[in-house]
Formats: sequence, C-alpha cells, structure tokens
Amino acid sequence: MSSPANTIAVGKKSPRIYSREAVLFGCILLLVLFVLFTAAVSRMYHKKIHVLADNWFDQGEASFRAGDIKSALTDYRNAMVYSPDNAKFQFHLAQALAAAGRGDEGRSYLLNLLSESPGSGDVNLALARIAAHKGLTSDALRYYHGAIYGVWENNPIEMRWQVRRELAEYLLERGLQQQAVPEIIALADSTPADNIEQRRVVGNLLLRAKLWNRVLDVFRSLPAANQNDEDALLGAATSAFNLGQYNAALDYFDRLPEKDRNSPGAAEMYKTAQQINEMNPFLPGLSREAKARRAASALSLATVRVQQCASQLGQSLSATPPETQLQKALADAKELAADENWQNIARHPETVDEVMGHAFEMENAAVAACGEPEGVDQALWLLGRSRGVSAQ
Amino acid sequence: MTEPTAVTSPGAIPPAANEPTNSSSKSGFRAMWEVWTNRVFTMREDRFFLFLAVLIGILSGLAVVCFRIAIEWTQIELLGSSLSPTFPRVVLAPTLAGIAVALLVIYAFPRARGSGVNQTKSAVYVSNGYIPFNTVVGKFITCALAIGSGQSLGPEDPSLQMGAGIASLIGRRLRLSQEKVRLIAPVGAAAGLAAAFNAPISAVLFVLEEVIGTWSAGVLGAIVLAAISSVVTMRAFLGPESMFRVPPFRVAKPADLLAYVVLGIVGGLASLVFLKWLAYARPRMQSLPRWTQHFQPAVAGLLIGIIGIRLPQVMGAGYPIIDQAMHGQFTWKLLLVLAALKILATGFSFLSGTPGGMFAPSLFIGAMLGGAVGAIEQHFFPALPGTVGTFALVGMGTFFAGFLRVPITSVFMVIEVSGNYTAILPVMISSLIAYGISRSYIKVPLFDLLARQDGLVLPSVEEQREQMILTVEDAMRVDAALVLERGDKIGEAIKKLEAKEGLLSFLRVRPGEWNFIEQSELQRLAADTSQSHTVEEANSRGPLPFVFRDMSLEEALHWAGDWPALPVLSRADLSKLEGVVTLDDILKAFRKVPVA
Repeated sequence: MSSPANTIAVGKKSPRIYSREAVLFGCILLLVLFVLFTAAVSRMYHKKIHVLADNWFDQGEASFRAGDIKSALTDYRNAMVYSPDNAKFQFHLAQALAAAGRGDEGRSYLLNLLSESPGSGDVNLALARIAAHKGLTSDALRYYHGAIYGVWENNPIEMRWQVRRELAEYLLERGLQQQAVPEIIALADSTPADNIEQRRVVGNLLLRAKLWNRVLDVFRSLPAANQNDEDALLGAATSAFNLGQYNAALDYFDRLPEKDRNSPGAAEMYKTAQQINEMNPFLPGLSREAKARRAASALSLATVRVQQCASQLGQSLSATPPETQLQKALADAKELAADENWQNIARHPETVDEVMGHAFEMENAAVAACGEPEGVDQALWLLGRSRGVSAQ
Repeated sequence: MTEPTAVTSPGAIPPAANEPTNSSSKSGFRAMWEVWTNRVFTMREDRFFLFLAVLIGILSGLAVVCFRIAIEWTQIELLGSSLSPTFPRVVLAPTLAGIAVALLVIYAFPRARGSGVNQTKSAVYVSNGYIPFNTVVGKFITCALAIGSGQSLGPEDPSLQMGAGIASLIGRRLRLSQEKVRLIAPVGAAAGLAAAFNAPISAVLFVLEEVIGTWSAGVLGAIVLAAISSVVTMRAFLGPESMFRVPPFRVAKPADLLAYVVLGIVGGLASLVFLKWLAYARPRMQSLPRWTQHFQPAVAGLLIGIIGIRLPQVMGAGYPIIDQAMHGQFTWKLLLVLAALKILATGFSFLSGTPGGMFAPSLFIGAMLGGAVGAIEQHFFPALPGTVGTFALVGMGTFFAGFLRVPITSVFMVIEVSGNYTAILPVMISSLIAYGISRSYIKVPLFDLLARQDGLVLPSVEEQREQMILTVEDAMRVDAALVLERGDKIGEAIKKLEAKEGLLSFLRVRPGEWNFIEQSELQRLAADTSQSHTVEEANSRGPLPFVFRDMSLEEALHWAGDWPALPVLSRADLSKLEGVVTLDDILKAFRKVPVA
C-alpha cells in the first residue's frame, strides 16, 4: 500500500486528508442526495416532455382531421421527439405518412410496432392498406388476415367484420375472384341477421363475386324487412336473372322505381327478362294455343338465326349429309318444321318440349359458331340455358 | 497489482475481528455502519476497487442522466420544442450561446476545452489519474449550453470525461494506491460513456481501445461493473429503450453483402475526408491569436445557424433525425446533403474549440450516408434485403469505425444502440472496409492525432496492433544443439561436436531438467586419457530455464542474459529439444524488425 502522499496528483495542492470511512460515508451520502436530486429533476423533465409530446400530438390530430397532412406529419414528428417509443404516436405518424402517399416510410414505423405487438389489429390493418396500395397482394393478404384474427381494443367483432369486408373489396377490385369468394362467404356467415346494413353490403359483395344463390338468399330476406329497399330489390332482381329465374327477376324489377329499373345495369336485364317472359311457352297459366304459338315462333326465330349465322360464316346449309353443328341443328329442325306449324303443336301439346328443344339447340349451335346473340335471340338462348340446355 | 494483505491506511478502522464489540452502547445505525465499513475496508484492495467501480458507475450514471436532461432542457428553452425552430432562434441561439461558452471556457473552465477522451487518456498516462473536478462541472455546463443551443456536437465524449472526473475525485479522496488512482479514471470513463450511449459493451471496448490503449488491462472487471451499474442507473431514470428502432431484417444471399461493401467504401472515403479536414484545419485554428477564441464558438454557432435556417436537422446531437433517417423519412438526395452539411457543421463546432463530443455527429453522418447509399442501391436493385433504415444503421457503424478508428467498438455499438443483432454481419464487413481505407491514408487515429497536435504522445491500441510480436520461434536455431545423456562417452561427444561447428551441448538430466555443458569442459575431460570419462562427470550449469517456441521473445529475454543458451522444448514432451536460443539470437531477431 503506498502512502497517501504518493496518491495525490503530481504538482497539485494536497487536498485535506479525511479518513476513508469519512470519504466513503460522504460518497454514500452524496449518492443518496444525488439520487433524490436526479429523481426530482427527471420527474420534472418527464412531466415537461410528456406535456410537449401530448401537445404536439393533439396538434397533429387536429391537422390530420383538417386534412392538412403536411402539418400533421411535422406535428407527429415533433411529438415523437419527446416520446419516441410511444406506439400511438408512431401509429398515427405512419398513418399520416400513408395518407401523404409515403406508405414506404410509414411501413417502417409499423413494422417496428408489429415486432412489438404482432397481434395488433390496428397495425396489421395499416400495413395491409400500405401493401394493398402498393399492389403487394400476398403481403396485403397476410396483414389483412393478421388484422382479422388480431387483437382489437374496441368493438373487435365489428372491426374484424369491417377488415374482412375491406379485404373482400380489395380482392374483387384486383380481379382475384377465387380468393375473394371464401372471404365473402366468411363475411356473410359472420353477419348478424338483424344488421340490415351489413347484410346489404354482403349482398353487394356476393353480387360482385357472382355468387347468385347466396345473393338471392340475402336480398330476398332484405325486402322482407324493408319493402322499399331499392338496393335489395335490384340485387335480388340481378341474382334471379343470373340464376335463370326470369319470372322472379321481372317481379323484383317491377317493384323497383322506374328510375332504378331503367338504370344502365338494370335496363338491359329488365328488357331481356321481359322478352324471355314473352316467348316462354312453359309459363304456367298459358293456353294451349298460346304455348303452341310461342313454340312455333321460337322455332322460326332460331331457324332464321342459324341461317344468318351460316351466311355470316359462308356456310351452305344444304349439304347432305349435314356436317357442321349448324347444318345438323337446322336439318333436325326442318324435319320437324315440315309438319309442325302452331296449329299442329296446339293439337299435340306434348310436342312443345321437343319443338323448343330444337329451337334451343339451333340457338346453341349459332352461339358456338357465331358468338352470343342479342335481342330476342339472346332471350331465347338464355331461356334455353335456364331450361338446362347449355351451349356446346 | 493485488496485495495479499488487508488495506490498512492511516484512517482505516482495524479489522472487525480485533475490535471489541460494544454495540449496546451505540445506536443501531452506527453499529451497522461500523460493521459495514469494517467489511469494506478489510477487503483486499482489488475487491474494494470493484466495490468502488459500482459506486462510480451509479454516480456517473446519475451525472449523465442530469447531463442529458440539461441538454434537452436547454434545447427546448433555446431552440423551442419543434424540430424546425423559428428563424431568429435558429441563428441567435447558437451564436449567443457560443459567446457564453467561450467566456466560460476561457475564464472559468479552461480544461473543458478539447477532447474528453484525450484528457482522460492523458490523466492515465501523464498525470497519475488526476482529473480536476472543476473540469467535470465545466464540461457539464458548457456542453449542455453548446449542444442544447444547436452546436453540432454530441454528449458522449463529455459524459466519458465526467465519469472519469468523478472516478478520479473518489480515487484521490479515498487515497487509493497510485496505480489504482491512475486506473480508476478509465473506470469512470466507461461508466460515463455507457450511460450516455446506453451501450455498456461498446463503452467497455471503447475505453480499452482508446483510453487505456491496451487490451491487457488489469481493470477489466471494474470497468465492466462500472459500465453496467451506470447503464442500470441511467435506465432507471430515462427508460430501457434502445436509442434507435430498426425493423429486423435478414441477409438472404451472400451476394447481398456486396451492397454493404459499397457502403464500407463510401463510409471509409467520407471519414477520410472529414479526418483530413480536421487534421489540416485544427493546427491553423489553434495558431490564430488568443483573443479570437472569444468569438470562435460564436462564429461556428452563427454558421451552423445559417445552415439550420434551411436544414435544422444538422443542429445539435441529431438523434431524432437519425431515427427519422432509419425510418426512411428522407430522400437519398437530402440524406447526402445532410451528411455533407453535418460534416461542415461538426467541423465548425469542433475546430472552434466548443466543448462537446464527436460521437453523435459521426453517428449522424454515418446514418445519413448509409441511408443514401441504401436508397440508391435499392433503386437499382429493388430485391436487396433490408430497408433504408438498415443501411442507415450499418452506415452509422461504418463511419464510426472509419472516423474514430474503433472497428470492434463500432460493431457492438450498432447492435447495442439498435437492439438489433441482425445487422452484425453487414456492419462487420462495412466497418472493416471503412477502417482499412481510413487507416491506409491516415496513419494516426483521430484521438492520437489530436493528442500529438496538443504536444502529447499517448499509447494507442492501433499502434500496438501494428507492432510485430516476436516469439522464440523467430530467434531460435534448430540443429544447433547436441543433446547428451549422462552415460554418453566424452570421446563420442567431442567427435559429434567437431563434426559440426557452433554446436551447443545440453545435458538431458530428466524431462524438464536440462543443463548446459561448455565445450571446453568436455575437452578438458577428453584430454585426460588416463581413464574413459562419461558426460556425467563434466561440470555442467543448470538446471536451465526452458522456453517454448510460441513464447514471446521478451519473456525469453528475462533469462537469456543469465545463461549461455536456453533450450526450446516441446510442450508435449519436455525431454524433446526443439531448438536453442541465445541472447545474441534474440537481439538479432529484434534488430531485424523495422522500427515503427
């Protein structure tokens, strides 16, 4: 052990010598006082910066709500200077960045938050929206599902429903029908029966996904709750039309106000449904004569359609034996038509099915050769489809 | 050095065992205190030193907490609470604070000027660990004012010196041995730096690399303890969060690392430019008339304020801005501009003699450069893993390694300040490249350069690394010894000796026991033809100290002067002679090594 004199710095005035325990006691006392002082200062400091952070955040919120994203970004950043780990601040900054079209920048904050709370519904949803905006479908799907199955502090059932709806809409917009269908079905299953608004949304999504049976189920139930629900009536009409239930479709269309019935999407379907209804010999309540007239008219309409199609293709319809579908269909129809005018059909009502079968076959042959028809031919062809005679 | 006996300084209480206990006559507190101090003072000094390390760590941690609060409070009061201060504040605050800092440094705290690292280092190597407490107070006030007003400097270097100053004061007051007083300053330095960075491992490594300047420090335990206790203290008041938050990433393919090679090159070149500028300008600034020192910090503040009108991000330590860069908040062009302007602003502050550290600015510059390089690379190679933030993080370590020339510290620093282990491989690669570039073009590291400009020559780890360590293998001669057994005939031994010139003869007594026999002694016995002599009869010197081929030559030198030759034995078999080494051989080997 060296003497005290040696331990004193070279060239410096010797300090007053205290015993070690006195120095140590002084150190401990100083330590206690210093801890108390630091605690007091730290408390004051934290109070101050929390106030500053909250003030900046509130300003940011106000700017964001007012649509001033640039100011909101600055305010949120200022808030984060004083509370850099505040998840709420980071989340709002990320949202503001995404709103400013700077999703990549926001993503980085969100990924941090996600690493801290992987099950957060909010964070997953925000990330999903950024990914969706960038067209990164697999990321978007992953984050949307994270949000659907994630934790929501407020109203989790409603939030999950909304997220799934957003996901379904995103998938439909991207044309990803196959991936959208299970989401929409799940959405429909999780929609409460008494929530008309949500069921209407689900119905529209089902409509966009062309899940006609389900659409009809949803929309059939909606007018029951509200007889004048135009969306529901239109949805029900559309789905009934697409299901080949033209009579029901007409019924829904007729219940719509005229302006809705004549809207661009509906007018065509309405007209076609009317035509189908007018040429359909299978409607209940028709007289034998009316059925016969409709069947004969359909046969002659289909014959003309085949002839026009053959002429369009430059095909001869007089070839023997018939080779093409058009020739075969026409030959079969001619064989029948030779002795089947409407009077004969009226006399033998059991032939209506056979006559209509030939008419549908000719329409199908024409569709296969020349594409889908328009007008009354389309009506006849659709009627055939609804009767189960599909195009070859 | 440890002392086996108990510490017994004049003021110490004798060991508890010898003291009569009359606790009944004393108050409970006094009795407890005496028992406790007895225990403390009867510790061996090295254990007592560890206890002090914890105490110093806590005190340094508290000091750093107050210091950081002081800086941020000053910043809020002088520049306002916004990241974009208003025009009058941004110019006036650093200018006026610059005048105040200059006056304080010149008239009240002259030792607050300059690098805290070098002052601590010179305390270790020049002034027996003495750091006046006045310096601690001076650093605290002037740095808080300077950094808080927007001068482009950081709080780490002053924190390091404050820790060292507190430790030095405690060491002196407790009248520790001279060696311990000298070593206690780095203990405090590590504590101060660890608390400032919230990075205990980096602080320990930095103090070993830069302050003590040797890896063989006997105070490693105390340094680690002090660093840990200061960080724990700091976290108790300021929270445990890492300084920066970067999403984890994964380097998918080895080829991805090439991106970080580019970053290493850019970081190395940038650090080189900054170092060259400082090395060139500092002596010129110091040679200006003394009266100009009154205005230098103010002029630096004014220039920084002018930059800050458009880009306030360059003002102050810049940690919130680094965080923003790590979250990809800036375009690559802005990142490059910020890096360049931060180099300028930091140069102004540093060259003007404004107290403050270079750590935070170097992290800022590195982060901006890294972010810019990352953004450019990802523009051309969108599949590159990681984000701009990842590159900013790696860039931080890269520039730090190139500028401060502490490659190992920089790797750990990046991990600790981000809490992100995934960046370790990229940061190792880019840091080593930057370090290599910097070292190739500037031989002396920054702190050594500054010390030399101030007339001090202090040891550095880098110099030690460059020194060639010679081993016995470099000096020993194989096939230069004749191994004799006790029963060998003298005549045969003489024949063997004559067959090859310069052979030295060793007698193998038993494994690990070797003697030396002079040739003249063998010849003397051989001359006696009256009877047949064996080697055993010869006068030999021994037992000889033996060495191994991997031992340092310096170690061998301890014994080489006392013996004509030393046997070099196999570590696996002490009866096997691998070679021989003499004093001449050792000196020749030393002479071959070029002097640094």
